Amino acid sequence: MADEFIKGLGIFTGAGLGWVVLAGWYRTPGFESTRQLISPASPSPANADLFNLLAIGLMDTLFWFAILGPLAFWVILPAVREASDTIDDRRNAE
Amino acid sequence: MSDTNTNTDTDTDTDTDGTEARTDGSGGPGIVAPDDETPSWRERKERTTGLSRLTYEYFERARREDQDLRTESDYVERDVLAFPTWPHETVRNLSIAAFFTGMIFFLSATMPPHIGSPANPSSTPAIILPDWYLYWSFGLLKLGPLNPELAILGGEKITADRTYGVLANVVVVGFVAIVPFLNKGSARRPVEQPFWSAVGVGGIVFAFTISLLAVKNLMPMDVDLLFDLTFLLPIVATTVTYAVLKTMREGYMYDLNRRYYRLRPPK
Repeated sequence: MADEFIKGLGIFTGAGLGWVVLAGWYRTPGFESTRQLISPASPSPANADLFNLLAIGLMDTLFWFAILGPLAFWVILPAVREASDTIDDRRNAE
Repeated sequence: MSDTNTNTDTDTDTDTDGTEARTDGSGGPGIVAPDDETPSWRERKERTTGLSRLTYEYFERARREDQDLRTESDYVERDVLAFPTWPHETVRNLSIAAFFTGMIFFLSATMPPHIGSPANPSSTPAIILPDWYLYWSFGLLKLGPLNPELAILGGEKITADRTYGVLANVVVVGFVAIVPFLNKGSARRPVEQPFWSAVGVGGIVFAFTISLLAVKNLMPMDVDLLFDLTFLLPIVATTVTYAVLKTMREGYMYDLNRRYYRLRPPK
């Protein structure tokens, strides 16, 4: 259980750190703005060059990785294991 | 010191006695390898038994070193149960300091630089804020909507909003000052005192939300919703924490852990 926790926490902090750095470049119009980290990506992915396109894609990937990774290790995997254990227990009880 | 590996002074049981289960690692060869059998880093990395095993080995090693120290002739019994400053505490503190130093270098190297325009001393900025660690106090000055308008005064407020904010600071600081007298902090972990843990979590969440209220000009959300969430989120966090910890108390692991962590240093 502790291993699953540190996996989720490592994904959350690591991917979140990478996302916040890239979002600081691409989704922050200014540091006195009220829409920091959540503004539309600039330059727009439609007419960005290759490196900017890669960075924007990596930013979105890291964002969803930081959301889905902990969700998988903290919620989904333990729930699946609990469910399978419960099913096994009921089968053995019968 | 040379014969400490046989545990002749401290163990009353013989090591070869296999009838009694030994859970502290002192029976048989134990998990602490002799110095000439210390595993290499490659062998350590090939172990796949996980963090719990590593933690167990670390504390077992620390216990063994402590036991070796106790068998030395010049050992003086003290009422202190702890790890030595060198190397345990120092290595840990150095690694923590190195982590945060590296994080500062990383962020300053990768984030886009913010170089603001030079300050103009002849004009006050539209948004003035204290340093971030004083946002909570600044947020308490913005509790104007909570200042009651008394009908007996014909809808007038009894104090100005700024006076009300200062009084809110007095109330919050007073509560923080009183808490140590209400609870002595004898619990070693939150599950032992769910109520006070819930109060602490609620206080931390309130410090965070009231700090966000202080920067409501910069928050990308509705100000009225932010004001409501400032007081609702701490209540929710307090309730959830209390429920979770109260549930954990019912578990088997709580009784097991309490037996270990309620241990106190010997007098």
